[in-house]
Amino acid sequence: MRRRALYFALRQAPALLFVAVAAILSILSPKFFSLSNALNLVVQSAPIAVVAVGMTFVLLTAGVDLSVGAIMFAGGALAAKLLLAGHSVALALLVMVGCGVFMGVINGFLIVRARLAPFIVTLAMLFVWRGFALWVTETRAMNLPDWFIQFGTARLVGVPVPVVVFASVFFLAHMALTRTPFGRQLYAIGNNVENARKAGLPLNWLLFAVYAISGLCAAIGGILALTQLGSVSPKFGENYEFKAIAAAVLGGTSLFGGRGAVWPGTLLGVLLIQMLESGLVMLNADPYLYPIVTAAVILFAVLLDTSRQAILEQRSRRRIYHDAERT
Amino acid sequence: MKYKFIGILIALTMFATGCGKSGKSKDGLTIGVAFETLQTEYWVAGFDAIRTDLEKRGYTMLQAISNGDPNRQLDQVKNFITRKVDGIILVPKDAKSCLPIIKAANEANIPIVLFNRPADKSDAHSVAVVADNFTLTRETVSYLIDQAKKTGNKLQAAILIGDLGDINAVKRRDGFDAAIQGHEDLIDVVARIPTEWNQEKAQAGVVNALQANPDIGFIFTSSDFLLPSIVSALKSAGKYHKIGEPGHVLLGGFDGDATAWKMLKDGYLDATGVQDVYFEAAQSVQAILDLRAGKTVPDLILDPGFVIHQGNLDEKSKQMWGAQMAAKK
Repeated sequence: MRRRALYFALRQAPALLFVAVAAILSILSPKFFSLSNALNLVVQSAPIAVVAVGMTFVLLTAGVDLSVGAIMFAGGALAAKLLLAGHSVALALLVMVGCGVFMGVINGFLIVRARLAPFIVTLAMLFVWRGFALWVTETRAMNLPDWFIQFGTARLVGVPVPVVVFASVFFLAHMALTRTPFGRQLYAIGNNVENARKAGLPLNWLLFAVYAISGLCAAIGGILALTQLGSVSPKFGENYEFKAIAAAVLGGTSLFGGRGAVWPGTLLGVLLIQMLESGLVMLNADPYLYPIVTAAVILFAVLLDTSRQAILEQRSRRRIYHDAERT
Repeated sequence: MKYKFIGILIALTMFATGCGKSGKSKDGLTIGVAFETLQTEYWVAGFDAIRTDLEKRGYTMLQAISNGDPNRQLDQVKNFITRKVDGIILVPKDAKSCLPIIKAANEANIPIVLFNRPADKSDAHSVAVVADNFTLTRETVSYLIDQAKKTGNKLQAAILIGDLGDINAVKRRDGFDAAIQGHEDLIDVVARIPTEWNQEKAQAGVVNALQANPDIGFIFTSSDFLLPSIVSALKSAGKYHKIGEPGHVLLGGFDGDATAWKMLKDGYLDATGVQDVYFEAAQSVQAILDLRAGKTVPDLILDPGFVIHQGNLDEKSKQMWGAQMAAKK
């Protein structure tokens, strides 16, 4: 019984940490524990959550995509230009999504065809797309028309649109990873790329697909951020790559590939990061404490995850007993 | 094949990050201008003002942007030194990381002026031309407090703080605190939001602050560049109203950019502290010339700036760089 409880606690460690942090913040700030704040948290998390979903796909293959924030900025800059020039919202959003996929495909092309390391390719693309966007915006903030941010507050059957998008992306990603051959093949690549190759998996196509998905998610995340902010500034999308990686890793996704899930892993990671930032503002904490507290919780969560994996692996090993031990 | 791709990548990266650009060659002095960033309107306006000033004098300008990387900026300045520039105007990343850069210029006997961000005290010698961040913020917030008095209510307040590694952001926060001191019966600061000069962080911070304190009636931002974030958050909360309308949230800022100008004109922004970017650019170039001529130049040249508000809008708008940028758009 005690062993089962321990197993349960170890398996659910990210969720338990999430509940613990939520409980502490609720005790310290009574206004934190409310339905409206919970909804606010989910709405605020939506952009980074969608980007983190794409990042989870990439991390599962033992890759990384450092260009997601720059893709958001480049797509957002082009969309803002179009909107300010009087073009329709549909065209602007279509261009933004198209840019995301196109930029993801370029990453995939360089990684698959030119056989360059994902870290180097996406780091270079981070600079390329950020530089491109700075050129497009002439390094000036572009304020979108007032009506644009109404999309961020609009509701669909009573549910805020960002939450609908957020939930849809998570549902589709979860289904793709757990219910399709595509998802299982991604785990196989991450676990052992050589074995996956010998098993005849279409490695090139799969890697192409994950970077395209990551670009698409970055573009959708960019749209969600734009509808909340109503402005494209030169820092738009900055550090999203690190937040997305942190969220995925906090949720139990391995940086070495082959392990992780968007549900509930990445979702909990995203909400935990957002909850900390939101909670510290609500507590009117000293601004110097923000990075210290956030980093400490992230470090603790990763340490906890590493320890629990080690324990679970150790406990799941088959034990061979000697005759003497049995008696 | 592989090397070809690497070559293309390096070339694209250098193009995108502005490495190795240079101005037109003319007779006269050559001045190296190294900016840490061009990521807000203020820096773009400052860069343009320096370029215009140098062009008017017939000087050549070498330019470099380090995109927030102090090591890269050191390399860029060393490149200036190798090219034997006659003076260097620098916007450093922060007060400490620029010290090796200043020392390198000192060793080469090239005068160096820091534009808008001073260096820490050390044996490295430079001249800094900076806005009086503390005083200007204190005056701006004092104006807002005077407006708050007129409401007859005690107001909950929030401040958006910049990057805490940036001495300008720290001085503005201190100026805010100094103005509030002694008025605690009127102003209750319920949220201190660190933004790291990031609009998204600012927007999320204001939304969270309003969630915890729906009655916030006074917001000061350490840079006008964060105003769109505040506007978005206030609109979401249904609290974005013009001055004089019921429920108006007192708003104040710092910089004097084009967004602030529009909000002042439209009656949503109460006041902002304006940095005189043209004064700072002219003083920076003049300081280089004076140093070259062997004249004594103070280590710190302060731009007093001015507070623009609804009461002096017409009078001061001609001096506001944001108003001029808005007119050009």
